[in-house]
Amino acid sequence: MDDDTLIARIADGDDMALRELFGRHAPWLATRLRAVLPAADVEDVLQETFLAAWRGARGYRPEGAAGGWLWGIARRQAALLLRRRGPVALVLPDGLAVGDEADSVVTRADLAGALAALEPAEREVWRLMYEEDRPVAEVAELTGVPAGTVKSRAHRVRRVLRAGLGGTR
Amino acid sequence: MSGIDGSRPGDPASDLISDIDLGRVWTGVAAEVWRRHPGRLERLAGRLLRSPGLARALLTTPSLLVPWLIATVVVLAAGAVVTLSTGQPLVALLAPGVAAAGIAYSYGPGVDPAWELSCSMAISDRMVLLVRALAVFAVNAVLGLAATAFAGAGQTAAGDVTFGWLVPMTAVCALSLAVATLARSASAGAAAGMAGWAITVLSSRVASGQFTAAVTRAALVIPYLIVAAGCAAAAAYATRIPRGTPL
Amino acid sequence: MNVEITNLARRFGRNQAVAGVDLEAGPGVLGLLGPNGAGKTSLLRMMATVIPPSSGTMRLLGRDPGAHEPRREIRRRLGYLPQALGYYPGFTVVEFVEYFALLKDMPSARVPAAVAEAVERVDLGAKAKAKLRTLSGGMLRRVGIAQAIVNNPELLLLDEPTAGLDPEQRVQFRALLRDLGQHATVVVSTHLVEDVGAACTEVALMDAGRVVFRGTPADLAALGTDRDTGDAPLERGYTAALTRARSLTRAGGQS
Repeated sequence: MDDDTLIARIADGDDMALRELFGRHAPWLATRLRAVLPAADVEDVLQETFLAAWRGARGYRPEGAAGGWLWGIARRQAALLLRRRGPVALVLPDGLAVGDEADSVVTRADLAGALAALEPAEREVWRLMYEEDRPVAEVAELTGVPAGTVKSRAHRVRRVLRAGLGGTR
Repeated sequence: MSGIDGSRPGDPASDLISDIDLGRVWTGVAAEVWRRHPGRLERLAGRLLRSPGLARALLTTPSLLVPWLIATVVVLAAGAVVTLSTGQPLVALLAPGVAAAGIAYSYGPGVDPAWELSCSMAISDRMVLLVRALAVFAVNAVLGLAATAFAGAGQTAAGDVTFGWLVPMTAVCALSLAVATLARSASAGAAAGMAGWAITVLSSRVASGQFTAAVTRAALVIPYLIVAAGCAAAAAYATRIPRGTPL
Repeated sequence: MNVEITNLARRFGRNQAVAGVDLEAGPGVLGLLGPNGAGKTSLLRMMATVIPPSSGTMRLLGRDPGAHEPRREIRRRLGYLPQALGYYPGFTVVEFVEYFALLKDMPSARVPAAVAEAVERVDLGAKAKAKLRTLSGGMLRRVGIAQAIVNNPELLLLDEPTAGLDPEQRVQFRALLRDLGQHATVVVSTHLVEDVGAACTEVALMDAGRVVFRGTPADLAALGTDRDTGDAPLERGYTAALTRARSLTRAGGQS
């Protein structure tokens, strides 16, 4: 049974469908949120997310983007939680702290999700070049690959991130 | 035992969230989704009785009480119609008998499939019995009064007959309850109550020539009340300790 | 000590169902073994405060169940699964568990979460809103277990809880028992010796209304010899203990 059918059933009040949806999507949502929030908060946000999905299933437009819909709800719930809590002490890479802190956190969560789509080697390039701000030559030496390979990996990273942060997911 | 969380050990994603209990998260969601919302009557009863459990037990009667309720309405309505056309106060004569049957069915063994379990509950079987019996009595009294009022419009001495049956009804209900709790059988109680009432009506008729004597003779009030008190005491004694399902 | 029983007896007419039992139990899982008619169910019913004892003393959770208010307190902290549960066919799983949660006087704010947890714990989450009349015997048994554990009881009494459960469910159930036995006293009455071996920290063997053996499952197994009937050491120990107890009685042992 696909996600769209499940959500349609949830809109009809089928709690079994909600349980199925939870089983499919809660793990990856938890992973994304865990990159930026402590475990207890992740649990709270996940709970509120699925309750909101239960209540708002009627508003879902079936176009095969169940994951995006759920992530959208999760982001909002995370932001709500953080605003209720007040200022949060977080370590964010420079350049990502735009808007209020709550938004920054969920942006970072988006980033974590997008990074998850990368290969380990590419993630390493991201970390060294963009988080630690090292030049290409140094990265090539550290990772033991030619500079050309580093550059093409970096190119792919930028492409994936642009898609990941700019698109619906 | 639940397999709600789909992660696999060793998978990098599940290592990251190994400190997250997805089972607990689902339980929190399920608590809200599966929750039953009590109706207004139940909430009101819960406040009056100061116990949501007692209110729920009252309004969740063993299945036989609903048929009883329907039968009561039908019988009293029919009685009202007959009374209107013939002038005989049938309602007053029927009401106690019907109430006796209903009261017996508010008592557990044989009627409540989970009786054994109910005997181990903090809200005791006796409390539930008391509340249900009172509710049956009250419902019957209200229905009876409504039927009498409907049928008695224009009758003289209507007051005697309108209210006169309440005292015998108390006595007969107490009898029914006493037999039900002592014999541990709702059917025995119902039979005893209805038979007792039939005998009373017939013997009053024989004694005084009038069918309605059982409900109108003032001299009977004291005996009725004594019977009611005695039977209520017997029922209280029979239920003082829990007595589970007979083995 | 959650259970302190001294010289407890119960008779039904001329039948002496329980004939002088001494029993003490703290946290952990106590298996109550014995043949049919040994008095296990009567003992359990007395501990569940469903029937009063004919004689002897009993203290449950530090209180005297003979008095009204202490009995109420005990019952709030008690979980009981009778041998024949009985159910309301029109109720759903959740409604049934919730009904008894309310009757155990649980604060109504805590009830929805407790019910959800109990239902998931017995693996009936997929049937939460199914009507009881549509469930199999094994599932109904699990509903019974769910209502028994919904109030997180300190004293949990289970009479033949695994009746109707398939082998895989029995394994999961034993894990649940071990979990519950961490903080509560769980008394499981069963005739299935292998259930006892796997889940119980202690065993009491009853015969003809008395306790004839008390110890760990290993102690019971150690009693057995090759001459006793049984496929497993624990079964042989069970037979040996019964034989020994009966020969003692026949030899004119103390009553």
